[in-house]
Amino acid sequence: MNISVKDWYKSGSPWIWLNAGAVALCVIMVVGLLGLIAVKGLGHFWPSTLYVTEYQNRSGDQKTILGEIADSELVSATQLKSAGYQVPADIEYIERDLLKVGNRDVSGQDFLWVLSTSISKQTAPENLIAVERREWGNFYGNLVSVKEGDKVVASVANGGFESTWAALQERIERALAIQEEIHGIEKGDIGSINYGLERLRLKERGLELQGDSDPIKLQSIAEERAGLNAEYEVLKDQLNGLYSQVQRDQLLAKTIDGNEVSMSLSKVVLAYAPNDMGFFDKISHYIGKLGEFLLDDPREANTEGGIFPAIFGTVMMVLLMSIMVTPFGVIAAVYLREYAKQGAVTQVIRIAVNNLAGVPSIVYGVFGLGFFIYFLGGNIDQLFYPEALPAPTFGTPGLLWASLTLAILTVPVVIVATEEGLSRIPRSVREGSLALGATKFETLWRVVLPMSSPAIMTGVILAIARAAGEVAPLMLVGVVKLAPSLPLDWNYPFIHLDRKFMHLGFHIYDVGFQSPNVEAARPLVYATAFLLVLVIAVLNLAAVGIRNGLREKYKSLEH
Amino acid sequence: MTDQTTNEVPTHAVDISALGRTNEDRQLANEEICLEVKNLQLYYGEKRALHGIDMHIPKNRVTAFIGPSGCGKSTLLRCFNRMNDLVDTCKIEGQILLENENIYDRTVDVTELRRRVGMVFQKPNPFPKSIYENVAYGLRIQGINNKRTLDEVVEQSLRGAALWDEVKDRLHDSALGMSGGQQQRLVIARTIAVKPDVLLLDEPASALDPISTLKIEELINELKSEYTIVIVTHNMQQAARVSDYTAFMYMGDMIEFGDTNQIFTNPNQKQTEDYITGRYG
Repeated sequence: MNISVKDWYKSGSPWIWLNAGAVALCVIMVVGLLGLIAVKGLGHFWPSTLYVTEYQNRSGDQKTILGEIADSELVSATQLKSAGYQVPADIEYIERDLLKVGNRDVSGQDFLWVLSTSISKQTAPENLIAVERREWGNFYGNLVSVKEGDKVVASVANGGFESTWAALQERIERALAIQEEIHGIEKGDIGSINYGLERLRLKERGLELQGDSDPIKLQSIAEERAGLNAEYEVLKDQLNGLYSQVQRDQLLAKTIDGNEVSMSLSKVVLAYAPNDMGFFDKISHYIGKLGEFLLDDPREANTEGGIFPAIFGTVMMVLLMSIMVTPFGVIAAVYLREYAKQGAVTQVIRIAVNNLAGVPSIVYGVFGLGFFIYFLGGNIDQLFYPEALPAPTFGTPGLLWASLTLAILTVPVVIVATEEGLSRIPRSVREGSLALGATKFETLWRVVLPMSSPAIMTGVILAIARAAGEVAPLMLVGVVKLAPSLPLDWNYPFIHLDRKFMHLGFHIYDVGFQSPNVEAARPLVYATAFLLVLVIAVLNLAAVGIRNGLREKYKSLEH
Repeated sequence: MTDQTTNEVPTHAVDISALGRTNEDRQLANEEICLEVKNLQLYYGEKRALHGIDMHIPKNRVTAFIGPSGCGKSTLLRCFNRMNDLVDTCKIEGQILLENENIYDRTVDVTELRRRVGMVFQKPNPFPKSIYENVAYGLRIQGINNKRTLDEVVEQSLRGAALWDEVKDRLHDSALGMSGGQQQRLVIARTIAVKPDVLLLDEPASALDPISTLKIEELINELKSEYTIVIVTHNMQQAARVSDYTAFMYMGDMIEFGDTNQIFTNPNQKQTEDYITGRYG
């Protein structure tokens, strides 16, 4: 069969191919991007095999190192030559591996590039241990003994690896339990005592500012304070006891070079022997690490531990933003579409609103800082929190201002979507309501707005997608790299809108570009990015679910 | 209904005797007046859509407006509850008196007027709420939220609209799940729930199937004892079937207004006869 180009063109197939191609390209890009960050990020939590690697370094010395392979790449021979390596003349590219060797406290660096051509021997012997610590990153080496104070409880030389390892795990568990207790007391009990003391101080200062020196009030404040201080003393004693308990046990281990290292178990988070683990051990280790990543606070300048505060901050900020932007956008759209006289002025306003969506987000950040924080917040402090001055309460970046800034950043989207929805409500339904003696407002409130709710939700979905991914303005109006406490806790008034918070987007920037240990942080950047995408997807799906519910309710009127 | 499609060309397109109409002798002049239109002129921008209409609409009777498309019959109908106020460019001169009060007077409360003059539209327009809430809507906006009162009025109105038996078991289902005919009767129920004096029907059956149309027509017959009904229709058989008086309009003018029997059997005006016999329109 022979089809001419003209017929083929007329048949419409080229358009189908073009459209399908465009869609395919989009799908490939999305799936590829998600796949990349998922693989790079989620692979990080898998316990990698520890290799003992013998290789020749740049100066030709034979070296033995222990570590896991973190990455590998091709480098050009010229680059290596100029860096001082000896490279065979006929080779253009050479593979090199990045080994995570840990032991930053001993060797000073925990990552090492090794040319694969210089490696003479690579083995994965059993009984090598990896220790995750609260300081100095991971430790890799051989277990020597476990000590309680100065007394050796178990040692590999006498009792073999298995029993020593079991003793170690048992003691780590004990230490972790005590750590948890300490954490609970410090963050929870002492945290609320401090909060209470601060409130008392502010109350006293407030009385002082009012010129009120009523001895009864002062007396009650002093009594309350004494009570809190007494509580604190009790907790402090308890805490000291726990601290001495947690520091009881020691772990003695040897690096591959033969240096003995002693670690207090209070500094150990986790010890595992990756080369001895079976597949299911690895899976349970993986799930544990993933859980830690999702639910724990960050450690070591955000390069270790979890990102729970960032997840929490992101979700809370987006929810607050949605709560603020929806009524604001809907009211503006209702006025523009229903009440304002349609003409040049409304047209100009519409264009202005649409253009607002194109303003660089950092400009909103600057606006938020200048208007919300310095002007509004400053005045709120003067009026309502004079006792806390000069320390600002709302006159400083915080959750409220970040949410508000994002709300004005996303309000054009909601306005446009709502207007679109309002214009689609059939005239006949409005007239039906008016003909029953309803006023315009009643018609809007009882019939038109409920019917527009799916469109409004569409606007909110778009707003959420935009707000959750925004970073630049947040740096100015409330996000910090490490927030000491969540904006939601058990201390009255429970929601602390004045607090600074952490955010996944900013966390990516901070960990990826501001971190002292780039190599250690890199997988976390991927993992955090993946998580941010997930969080946005979940928020969006929730909103889409609500919208579909509303659509279902009003669907017969859509056509 | 009788078969309208005989092959022979009838003298009149509508055989009035075949419709089973009572041939009681009505006199427009003897009727009690509900609405009085005095020299009503209506402009859409520069265009004059109604050219000085004068008429009396009798109380508790069905008055039909017929005429070709664009003749102004719907526009006139919408004047009775001031629906034309919603059109920005619309300007009205003259008077309409409802029980001797000018509804275009500045002191008139438009929402109260619309409660007294209910309207049913061409396309069924139930609200996206339950059947119950649709009927209760008018009461709720009057601030009546007493459950017992609402229950009572909802039942009464649905019975009044001959819908109660069909929907009494699913009052709290969405009104959007009903058939078109049921929806239209629901809209009528919704309208009579607020106890209006006048019912305006703007081609109420034109979007419905014949069975539903029949039900609506029966309903109109029942409702006229309580309400003054004004109906706009394209369907001359329908006008002949349901109305007591008929007004024929053409190009914004009221050509002829009189007893339906007389209009359809013995019109005074040549234009009316031409229209009724199907010569144009």
